[in-house]
Amino acid sequence: MSADPGRTRRVFFREAICRAVGETLDAEPNAIVMGQDVGAFGGSYKEFYGLFERFGPARVRDTPVAEAAMVGLGVGAAAAGLRTLVSITYMDFVLLALDPLVNYAAKARFKTGGQIRVPMVVKLTAGAKGQGVAHSQSLESWLVSVPGLRVVAPSNVADAYGLMRSALQADGPVVYVDHKRLFPTSGALDDSVHEVPFGLAAVCRPGRHASIVTHSYMVCVALAACDQLAVSGIDCEVIDLRSLAPLDLATVCTSVSKTGALLTLEEGQVVCGIGAEIACQVQARLGPVRVMRLGAVPAPVSSNPVLEAATLPNAARVADAVRRLLMEG
Amino acid sequence: MTASNDIDALAAMLLVRELESALSAREDCGFQLLSSGQEAVAVGVAAALLAQDQLLCSGRSIAPALARGLDPGRVMAELIGRASGPCLGRGGRGHLSQPSAGFFGAHAVVAGNLSIAAGVALALQARLDRSIAVCLFGDGACGAGALHETMNIAALWQLPLLLVCDNNLYSVSTPRAAALAPQRLSDLAAPFGIKACTVDGMDVRSVRGAAVALTDHVRSGGGPAFLECVSRRFASHSTSARETRGQQELAADRELDPITRLEKALLLEGALSTQTALGLREQVRARVTAACAFAEASPLPVPDEAFADVG
Repeated sequence: MSADPGRTRRVFFREAICRAVGETLDAEPNAIVMGQDVGAFGGSYKEFYGLFERFGPARVRDTPVAEAAMVGLGVGAAAAGLRTLVSITYMDFVLLALDPLVNYAAKARFKTGGQIRVPMVVKLTAGAKGQGVAHSQSLESWLVSVPGLRVVAPSNVADAYGLMRSALQADGPVVYVDHKRLFPTSGALDDSVHEVPFGLAAVCRPGRHASIVTHSYMVCVALAACDQLAVSGIDCEVIDLRSLAPLDLATVCTSVSKTGALLTLEEGQVVCGIGAEIACQVQARLGPVRVMRLGAVPAPVSSNPVLEAATLPNAARVADAVRRLLMEG
Repeated sequence: MTASNDIDALAAMLLVRELESALSAREDCGFQLLSSGQEAVAVGVAAALLAQDQLLCSGRSIAPALARGLDPGRVMAELIGRASGPCLGRGGRGHLSQPSAGFFGAHAVVAGNLSIAAGVALALQARLDRSIAVCLFGDGACGAGALHETMNIAALWQLPLLLVCDNNLYSVSTPRAAALAPQRLSDLAAPFGIKACTVDGMDVRSVRGAAVALTDHVRSGGGPAFLECVSRRFASHSTSARETRGQQELAADRELDPITRLEKALLLEGALSTQTALGLREQVRARVTAACAFAEASPLPVPDEAFADVG
């Protein structure tokens, strides 16, 4: 497809990622992609479709099933002058690769007095979609507390593209979290080359009564809940964080100042979750406000559809949480 | 190799020994991983490297850093946390680094630098200038999956990577035989088709000879190689770890001292006179005295630097 600046077209989530990665490979001869099945197969979610044919096996590299070494190589290569994107099909498996990511990449610039930088993106796919206890987790809250790591999580096509562009221009390690249930979605994407900056949340639905602060696929769930609540006259604002580290507290606080009620929503665990951090930081800035946190129940996420659904937030649970939050006040 | 190479090697080993002895005697020595006893490994391997190559190592990094030619004053400054260290005093012994000098550096997680080194090798491979990455690691790292994952990918992708196992026979207190099943640690490379050998790590000439042969192999596009050097450390695992070996074993290890071994050989061969040997030791002592003075004159970092260069 030839670019036509100013024109907007409808693309799938995976195509938005692929476009941003392809543009980077085009513009930067030192940029490479590594991961399992990223080559001729085109990525597990087809998010690298066509890149192997365009850029060849040296720059779009299939790796063995060895997450620790994949990320370690990505870190080392980035530290020595390449720009790397390492793709891990299931976020659960980043646990195998935390040593190079947390102990090396996040600390390299600091520990070497600025001699080494690690311009690397680790792309992880989070979320539950019928694949069971070790293929369904949303673990981004584990990573946001690591100084030196930036963590972003788009919820729509435009941000999938713009945040990937930004991630591939960063001079340090970035964790890019996408979601299995977002890959089949589509949306509008402007043909112009552009970025979504880190640390900037988006108000994706304005509202008066409560602020739902969330990210990734849960934005879709929150918006569905808002439609249900609107029927009974409850008007919620939805903030899509987009960037989890750094956090855009200013946008969140502006919203909560207006509505006076905060529901944090995430697919991961509530304990030590993104919501806990936001609730604490918002109250430190604004003083006491009505707050509720919603996330996965404290149990593994089964592949059994009944049990999976029992574990995770859905629109009805979000709507119910908002009602309870507003009743408390 | 010529006698001048041997005398350089002797001076390089003496520098490590002397600097570590000065460091150990300091009140602000802190937690250190000393290379004393194992000098021949780093010095022998470094002798095979070219300026454009990158050396990586474990936390036992003093000998590798000095052997690669880092300024002893700046190394000493880094080790005692002073701002004129190459990492501005932030990295310390476990994370000494100076990539501009071909020393990509230390990473103190056991086995943690192996896949990083393979990544550095991948970046060097793209340069097409025949530069290579070399990673020094201890026998403890051989039990970790990281080594096997790294060897597999390095072999598949024919990376310009030399893996050097500095096998000092102990992981802290655990004897190598109690931790690792293979007969020789270089046997670990065979299933991957990686060229490998084991040498006496207390003999700098053997280490250097093997390192030259293997770096030639790697440099000429032959893919990765693996060198095991069997060595002895003269101190306990770290300056804060208890010594678990008996006096008899330690005394036997001392008999293998790579410095006296090379010095004796050179004297016997007539390549070195007693007077030159003494002069060499004097020169090294003077360098270390100057290095200590340089480090002491350097300030500690200001507390605000804790927030600098994060990410």
